[in-house]
Amino acid sequence: MHCVRNVTEDLYWVGANDHRLALFENIHPIPRGVSYNAYLLLDQETVLFDTVDWSACRQLLENMEYLLQGRPLDWLVINHMEPDHGASIEEILLRWPKVKIISTEKSFMLMRQFGFQVDGHELVEVKEGDTHTFGTHTVTFVAAPMVHWPEAMVTFDVTNGVLFSADAFGSFIALDGKLFADEVDFDRDWIDEARRYLTNIVGKYGPHIQLLLKKAGTILDQIKYICPLHGPVWRKDFMYFIDKYDKWSRYEPEVKGVMIAYASMYGNTEAAAQALASKLCEKGVTDVALYDVSNTHVSYLIAEAFKYSHIVLASVTYNLGIYPVMKSFLEDMKALNLQNRTFALIENGSWACKSGDLMQKFIDEEMKNMTVLNERISMASSLGADKAAELEALADGIIDSLKGE
Amino acid sequence: MLFQTTRDHEQLRTKIRAFVEEEVKPIAFMLDQQNEFPAEAVKKLGENGWMGIPYPVEYGGAGLDALSYAIAVEELSRVDGGFGVILSAHVSLGSWPIFAFGTEAQKQKYLVPLAKGEKIGAFGLTEPNAGSDAGGTETTAVDKGDHWLLNGGKIFITNAPKADTYVVFAVTTPDIGTRGISAFIVEKGWKGFEFGDHYDKMGIRSSSTAELIFNDVKVPKENLLGKEGEGFKIAMATLDGGRIGIAAQALGIAQGAFEQALDYAKERIQFGKPIAAQQTISFKLADMATKLRCARFLIYSSAELKEHHLPYGMESAMAKMYASDIALEVTNDAVQIFGGTGFLKGMDVERMYRDAKITTIYEGTNEIQRVVIASHLIGKMPKEGGGGGRSVAKKPAPITGVRKKMLFKEGEAKDKVEALVAALKKDGHDFTVGIAMDTPIAQAERVVSAGKGIGDKKNMKLIQDLAAAAGAAIGSSRPVAETLKYVPLNRYVGMSGQKFTGNLYIACGISGAVQHLKGIKDASTIVAINKNGNAPIFKNCDYGIVGDVCEILPLLTAALDTGKKEPAPPMVKMKRPPAPKPTPMGKHCVCGGCGYEYVPELGDPDAEIAPGTLFEKLPEDWVCPECAEGKDQFIEA
Repeated sequence: MHCVRNVTEDLYWVGANDHRLALFENIHPIPRGVSYNAYLLLDQETVLFDTVDWSACRQLLENMEYLLQGRPLDWLVINHMEPDHGASIEEILLRWPKVKIISTEKSFMLMRQFGFQVDGHELVEVKEGDTHTFGTHTVTFVAAPMVHWPEAMVTFDVTNGVLFSADAFGSFIALDGKLFADEVDFDRDWIDEARRYLTNIVGKYGPHIQLLLKKAGTILDQIKYICPLHGPVWRKDFMYFIDKYDKWSRYEPEVKGVMIAYASMYGNTEAAAQALASKLCEKGVTDVALYDVSNTHVSYLIAEAFKYSHIVLASVTYNLGIYPVMKSFLEDMKALNLQNRTFALIENGSWACKSGDLMQKFIDEEMKNMTVLNERISMASSLGADKAAELEALADGIIDSLKGE
Repeated sequence: MLFQTTRDHEQLRTKIRAFVEEEVKPIAFMLDQQNEFPAEAVKKLGENGWMGIPYPVEYGGAGLDALSYAIAVEELSRVDGGFGVILSAHVSLGSWPIFAFGTEAQKQKYLVPLAKGEKIGAFGLTEPNAGSDAGGTETTAVDKGDHWLLNGGKIFITNAPKADTYVVFAVTTPDIGTRGISAFIVEKGWKGFEFGDHYDKMGIRSSSTAELIFNDVKVPKENLLGKEGEGFKIAMATLDGGRIGIAAQALGIAQGAFEQALDYAKERIQFGKPIAAQQTISFKLADMATKLRCARFLIYSSAELKEHHLPYGMESAMAKMYASDIALEVTNDAVQIFGGTGFLKGMDVERMYRDAKITTIYEGTNEIQRVVIASHLIGKMPKEGGGGGRSVAKKPAPITGVRKKMLFKEGEAKDKVEALVAALKKDGHDFTVGIAMDTPIAQAERVVSAGKGIGDKKNMKLIQDLAAAAGAAIGSSRPVAETLKYVPLNRYVGMSGQKFTGNLYIACGISGAVQHLKGIKDASTIVAINKNGNAPIFKNCDYGIVGDVCEILPLLTAALDTGKKEPAPPMVKMKRPPAPKPTPMGKHCVCGGCGYEYVPELGDPDAEIAPGTLFEKLPEDWVCPECAEGKDQFIEA
């Protein structure tokens, strides 16, 4: 059965939802699924904007056949060649042998690398600022390098104000019938997964998101719809989401609050983390989120690290080093370019306590523009009563720092 | 050609040798033992016209050549290495920069009396953080319109405080490395120009060596030597020539030791014959003589090159390096030949053995000489972290980390002390409680510490009173425990001593040597009381009062005294501000083809882009090391 939705006038969503994939990019858990968005424009000529993952190909074809009603597909615009959107290209080419493809030079290179037989088709290579008319609709192409692949572009339909934004403004979570962001309670039900999507997938490329936002800023008054490749279409409240993007890509925290991530083997480090959390709340700082790094997927930790201004890392010493899962969290924060955070450290070690120094060194030397508070708690095996004053001092230090910013 | 000195050279040698044998030899042991400067003999050197040997007669010199000067230093050092370096530092370092870079007026005012020996000259380059690397110079000279304001200090300065005229190097443009250094002529006696202690040295003890301290010294505009920013060039050119003097000194010391050993080997009978007849000793003597001849030729040849205005930088470095290296070997062999006798005080070889050591260290360590020689051989290699080939010193962070550095200057001493006590109380220091004065330093919550500035032993009473009033334990700097023995050795604070990690450290009369500061870097609050406002402790303290300990301590004691102290509760460590981040040297740029980030501090070693190269300075044909996109595909991070 076809499953399509009208975006506006002659433009339709022809994508698919996926609840069967466990790990997005085979790494990030997506318990609430994901959508692969493709869009079909029925102008004088017919145009498909991007395709879907191979697993959703049949749904795409069914949707297209339903809407095309026997018309040929004239154009395929590929904004992003990552296989969750590009994998169905080859099938489209087989079904519509005369379809012409519009994409960037690097995108065509990637198609060939992935083994798609594009060379019998008319290929239109476009650059920043090129335009193309399909009848009544004229589109212009805007390069979006490293958001988050080098070949990426976005396409703006100047006729109806639709921006095909590729992976930008996308989100995890399957649409399940809804299409528009205003059809869901985005700020309640979606923002966490949108953040987890953006920060983990595109987080490293903040400067290039900023570049794209700058370009979008110049045509903001003409944009009526933002059509990303995952998640809902935006047709109002753009600034809500653009503000979020602006913060994430500038690595500015959204919330003045405290994320506490602990690595605990037998519950003693956890107890210290819990004690700190309740101390903070008791002192009125209730924006506190506590995570056990061992049973929280790092993609959630990354999303929270992008959200909060302050991060407490509490780690045991393991093989004279940082506890491996905590180390992995640190490595991911570095890889995703997280900056401008204030850290506080709790270290534990039963005979040679090393994790605090090592975490501090990693934060100081490997990461950018981070602050580590002086009030480190050092504990031998467990947090004894004699450390009450230090716990107090750590909580006060964090609160002072929260107020100071 | 016949590699020989001229008759004139040898006549000069004979005259100087006779003079020094008569004037200095009899007192050499006494000078060594008493750390005494041979002022009378130096005066006579001047009267004989030997304090300005290589300078033209019209500037008060003897108008002789560089080789004559080298011979003079060699002959003085043959008897007393300390005496030799007095002349070397005076001629090569104190006078030559004025001769080579001075204006006519500067030459008339300063060079003439120096060359005539009426005044003594010295040279101030070395600092605690600027030894081999002059780029670390921290002494500053600020342009105040009609004068320069000089602040900072110099260490290990030969001829100080005896010298009258000092060529001093200071930063006039900060943060641009050696190009920001300028040279100044500074006179002894100017307001704010003081000397630290005369160092207690291992050798060359007849040469005076002291620290220079500049506190707001007003240097007249006309005393800038050379152009502004040329200081490093002047220093390096001076040291090129200075090396000939030090090489000659090393040669002289070794020559003296060799002659003594040769004589002794012929006199000393063992196994029925002079030990010189033992092959092992005779071979040693043969090696010593060969090394001396080799060193001598290197030195004389450098002097001749200099005299004839031919390049001599590498050759003088070779001469200095070789002569000083073999001076250690020859003096060592000489002591060996003397056996147990040579190990005794009063024996010339014992003194020469000690005197020789400095020659491999000063005026460019022998490691630096090898750098100089290698750079002549290999050419200029790209500098690490220098970007564009200039040496930019990283600003050394205060050793004790970020400190408030709040100096109380307003009002009378009493007002300053009151302001200090108010600040301490505001920070949460509770003076109604206290710890025992003999609490081990490592466990002490507070320490009152005495430095050499405390002066006489009776002033330790002031420290004890203050410790009692502040509820603190007593500590000290290393010399106070080790040399002065005012407190037991286990109470000195520093890298090699006890580390203080408590809340309040009150440093009284402590100047703040690096090794001391490292021992207090974890202190929550550091208070400095010292009469020298430029002492490093003030850059490493939270609160400071510039003043005499004898005046400040009693006032502070009175202000803190609350009668009997309650026992202090378990220490709660007070927090300190976080350390500042180094500012990035330039913008980071991200590749649009792959996301690679260019970091100027790292450069791109595979493309031979030196660390420190700004993105803007990358060659136009430089491409991304990861994906080969061009520079134009990069955006600012």
